[in-house]
Amino acid sequence: MRLRVVAVAAMAVLLGLVAATASASPQRAQANKLTVWLQVDAQSGWPDVVAAANAQFQKDHAGWTVDVQYQNWGDHLQKFDATLAGGNTPDVIEMGNTEMVKYMAAGAFSDLSSFKSSFANSGSWLKGLAASGTYGGKTYGVPYYAGSRVVTYRTDAWNKAKIKKPPSSLAQFTAYAKKLAAANKSVKGFSPVYIAGTDWYFAMSFVYDYGGSIAKTQGGKWVGNLDSKQSIAGLTAFKNFFNVASKASKTSDENHPAPYDVYSQGGAASIIGPGWFSCCVGTKYKGVTAQFVMPSHTAGQAMPGFLGGSDLAVPAPSKNAALAADWIKDFTSTDAQRALQAKGNIPNATNLLGTSVNERAATRSWFVPAAKHWVDVENGNILRNMLAQILKGKLTVKQAAASASDNITSVLNGS
Amino acid sequence: MTHPDGMAVAAEAPRPRRRRLTRAAIGRGTVPYLLILPVVGVLGALLAYPIYRLVILSLQKYTLFELIRHKGVWVGLDNFSSILHDQVFWHTVLRTVIFTVANVGLTIAGGLALALLLVRVSGWVRILLTSGLVLVWAMPQVVAVQVWYWMTNYQNGVVNYVLTQLHIGDFFQHDWYASTFSQLSLVTLLIVWGALPFVAITLYAALSQVPRELVEAAEIDGARPRRVFLDVTLPILTPVLLILTSLSILWDFGVFTQAYLLIGPSHITPGNYLMSIYLFQEGFQKADYGKGSAISIVMLVIVAALSFFYVRKMVRVGEVE
Repeated sequence: MRLRVVAVAAMAVLLGLVAATASASPQRAQANKLTVWLQVDAQSGWPDVVAAANAQFQKDHAGWTVDVQYQNWGDHLQKFDATLAGGNTPDVIEMGNTEMVKYMAAGAFSDLSSFKSSFANSGSWLKGLAASGTYGGKTYGVPYYAGSRVVTYRTDAWNKAKIKKPPSSLAQFTAYAKKLAAANKSVKGFSPVYIAGTDWYFAMSFVYDYGGSIAKTQGGKWVGNLDSKQSIAGLTAFKNFFNVASKASKTSDENHPAPYDVYSQGGAASIIGPGWFSCCVGTKYKGVTAQFVMPSHTAGQAMPGFLGGSDLAVPAPSKNAALAADWIKDFTSTDAQRALQAKGNIPNATNLLGTSVNERAATRSWFVPAAKHWVDVENGNILRNMLAQILKGKLTVKQAAASASDNITSVLNGS
Repeated sequence: MTHPDGMAVAAEAPRPRRRRLTRAAIGRGTVPYLLILPVVGVLGALLAYPIYRLVILSLQKYTLFELIRHKGVWVGLDNFSSILHDQVFWHTVLRTVIFTVANVGLTIAGGLALALLLVRVSGWVRILLTSGLVLVWAMPQVVAVQVWYWMTNYQNGVVNYVLTQLHIGDFFQHDWYASTFSQLSLVTLLIVWGALPFVAITLYAALSQVPRELVEAAEIDGARPRRVFLDVTLPILTPVLLILTSLSILWDFGVFTQAYLLIGPSHITPGNYLMSIYLFQEGFQKADYGKGSAISIVMLVIVAALSFFYVRKMVRVGEVE
């Protein structure tokens, strides 16, 4: 009897040894159906724009339907890779602008250059976004929308600390942070400016503000540049500002917790992040929330901010490339862009730009190195790890920057 | 049935005619093979073919570029040598082995203690305890991770609050995720917590197999509880303990979900990799499927080596019965 138990268990052990499972969502290519992968932002933020594009598309192509499948930023690339292997890719996919290069270099997308003139405002696309969808002179990604990062703040808290208007320089902002801290001594763990310790988008803004950069090209190769004098000055300024302004965890990222949650719970007088953060500041502070552009260390200037954004691309295996391009045309029409703009996003072309804080912040911006392996630097958390080391004081800024920079050089030049 | 000396058997029972291979005999001979055919077929489809593909993939350069073209480039053992020359790999192996030993040790010890407790306590306490264990068991891994994450949250974690209220120290805004040791300790707690129910309930069931009269006899002979446990109870539990230990080694060495999600994708660095996370980062995040396959083969070998001792002992125990 016990022998049988042992045998069964031994079998279980054997099976456990090879617990390799592969899951692929089966989605057979159906006749006359265009499959579109968009991020959930569209589902929650502007479903009407999606519906309008689908209606227009179906009007132009009788008998066709559009199947929009919403994805998450966290795992959409792994799912996309699985469809590339299985040969059931979507016809249109939304990609983050930092994710494009690797896929363009591998030949994952169809060349849309011949359709370019049919996309609205394609002559005046935002430079940074257009660049993220271009590889070897060809257009693979159509700019969808952009987002800049601004400071969202509580006017009541600022008034209480006797601060009249937004700061015009980093030094002034630092002085304000001290005032805000003093005025809110009674609130435990209060952050004058809540900054997540490893928010590299914000930290790198300091680097670019001081004339540094993450990496540069030298003789056809990428070289990490965080160990340059300017970059180190920027990182040091970030560290100093963090120490005065933020009581956030030195190792956490900008999504855990969401800065607007800290804000809405009264834990911060200001937060750094995308312009749409104003959506979620809570009913208590809804009426006393305003935004400004992060000031540079040079008085009167804006600090360059990270220009995030999305592109729309057509995976190479898609058999409906021309139709896919047509759907993209409908989805990026001037009307659609105006609707996105009304929701607080930055439209994809300069001629559509307005004067909101968000859009003003986009005028001075920086972007990640356009290297094939950039996404490996992001996924490897090289920058986050460096920032945590700097803030924890385990390494000096110089040591941490040098090690990260070497790391970046080797990753960017990987095979 | 078998006699040591075949000749003698023949002499004792002389059979004039040699046995003919009748159709019935052939039928009888093939039945066992027919019976195991489905199992062999299923195992072949579920195990052999994927392993074959895995081995092929591990000998190829297979990145995003090759994936799109559905065609790998033969590179021999390049993937393996790049792993074995990677410092990160060796550090990860060492870290994962230590992690596994700690997890398995705590799981088995804790489970055994709980099982022994279950035998001792009164009926309703046992029901209460068992229901608690089953509830823990029923909780999906991802949900458990989320709950643990909330409890140890930097901003307003309930663990921080309780520890501070108990005057154990000032844990206000204590960052549990600041160091590798702290991160992996949390993961260990979570895994052991999740694994305890299975181990405890299985061992409790095994304890019910310990004959009451044996224990009583030992006690009458003046054996102390410790002696009774070591000389009577433990030997009877051994087969089950061996199974549980080897299963735990397999699970804990390859654990991914809890570690990856609790530490958090944005905290993952080569400095806190476990094997499965190393595999995930190299294979999937960098889309280097050839190297990923090679890593999983190496993992297979390590796990096989780690559990070899236990599996062998288990088979021996089986033979004796």
